[in-house]
Amino acid sequence: MNNLLRFIGKHSNFLVFIILEVVAFLLIGTCNDYPHSKFLSTSNAIAGWQYEQITNIRNFFALRSINNDLAAENARLRSLLLPEPQLPLDTLPPYSPTPLPLYSSTPLPPYSPTPQYLSAKVVQLTLFEQRNYLTINRGEADSVYVGQGVRNNQGVVGIVSVVNKHYSIVLPLIHTESNLSCRFLKNDYIGTLTWDGKNPDYAYLEDVATHIPVLVGDTLVTSGLTSSFEEGIPVGVVDNATLEEGDSYYTIRVKLATNFRKIKYVEVIQTPNNELNYGVE
Amino acid sequence: MAWNKHLIRLIALLLIQVLILNQLQFFGLCHPYVFILFLLMMPISLPRSIDLIIAALVGLVMDLFCNSLGVHMAACILIAFLRRPMITNLVMDETRLRGDINSVALGRIGFFKYATVLIFVYHTAVVLLCAWSFAHIGFNLLQILLSSLVSGLIIIGYDILQSK
Repeated sequence: MNNLLRFIGKHSNFLVFIILEVVAFLLIGTCNDYPHSKFLSTSNAIAGWQYEQITNIRNFFALRSINNDLAAENARLRSLLLPEPQLPLDTLPPYSPTPLPLYSSTPLPPYSPTPQYLSAKVVQLTLFEQRNYLTINRGEADSVYVGQGVRNNQGVVGIVSVVNKHYSIVLPLIHTESNLSCRFLKNDYIGTLTWDGKNPDYAYLEDVATHIPVLVGDTLVTSGLTSSFEEGIPVGVVDNATLEEGDSYYTIRVKLATNFRKIKYVEVIQTPNNELNYGVE
Repeated sequence: MAWNKHLIRLIALLLIQVLILNQLQFFGLCHPYVFILFLLMMPISLPRSIDLIIAALVGLVMDLFCNSLGVHMAACILIAFLRRPMITNLVMDETRLRGDINSVALGRIGFFKYATVLIFVYHTAVVLLCAWSFAHIGFNLLQILLSSLVSGLIIIGYDILQSK
């Protein structure tokens, strides 16, 4: 016992060093995939606030391009709206409601709630790490939940992975642990989008078998198989598809629809009534 | 005790690090971490275990701003531990030293050697712990070299200006 105490006394510095390093490595181990911790990440109030102030200053100098993007988006949305009725009101046919039958012989269409979009500002992002993250200025107070999808006007951005009171962290497509099920717009075949950790403009589509015709320029959209994203949000365009000898799957490089280098504002997709599903997947 | 000086230096370095240097992306090649200047210049009169604990806390604060829980903490503890052996091996017997570590205490060449080695060790630790694999080792080596170079220039420059 005495020897042990003398040993500890002699090497106490080394023991402190080992203990602290073990703690550090435990922390690294618990968040190797993505930040689990609410407090020790950029979504905490102090770091989030500080990054938001910097972003406010930076965005001030980008106001011109943000305005142009907004105007273009407005024009696009307006073109999607139904044309307004040109007839004068008194020439419209009178409103005659047809009563709904209590029991219908045809089955009801599957329940698909219309998603609500919550606009959010990107306060911090990295592009060139292996594990990139976005911090957005919305959190629990705006009913953001882990697992909700995030998009912008160009396409899919990522999935909410940590939520704090006023800030959240989004795991974007450009993260090596990111997986997104998406389908070809032209023929409904489905593949999984992953990222190799190199270029923030390109990702890779996996699990596409060789019998499926794939052409450069094919559009990829979300498949709707996950509850995070509704069907049909743009993901990207096939940039290059190669087939090695003996492979049973294509190697497909996808140009991402979302330009992560210029991302300033995003929208959180809040589908009503499925908060319970989050966290199960 | 000139603790005010160290506290002010720590806060200034963290602000510079988070507000300016962390915003630079340079295609992911260059992440200079200049705040370790605080750890390099901490007075040597402190007990060694207190040194380590301060380093762990500073590293944890840095991790909080980088979304890299534990990485900076591990690297900070490592250089705080290696500080004294480095001085003993590269420059002079540490028992002859009192107070702050800078080029006045160690001599210009001595401080240069001491700082360069520890800066390199720090960036190597951070890059490899962040990568957590050797899959992109060529890219990582380039990251280590460029980041160490930029950090080293800033830190040595600060020391020269300060000790003039």
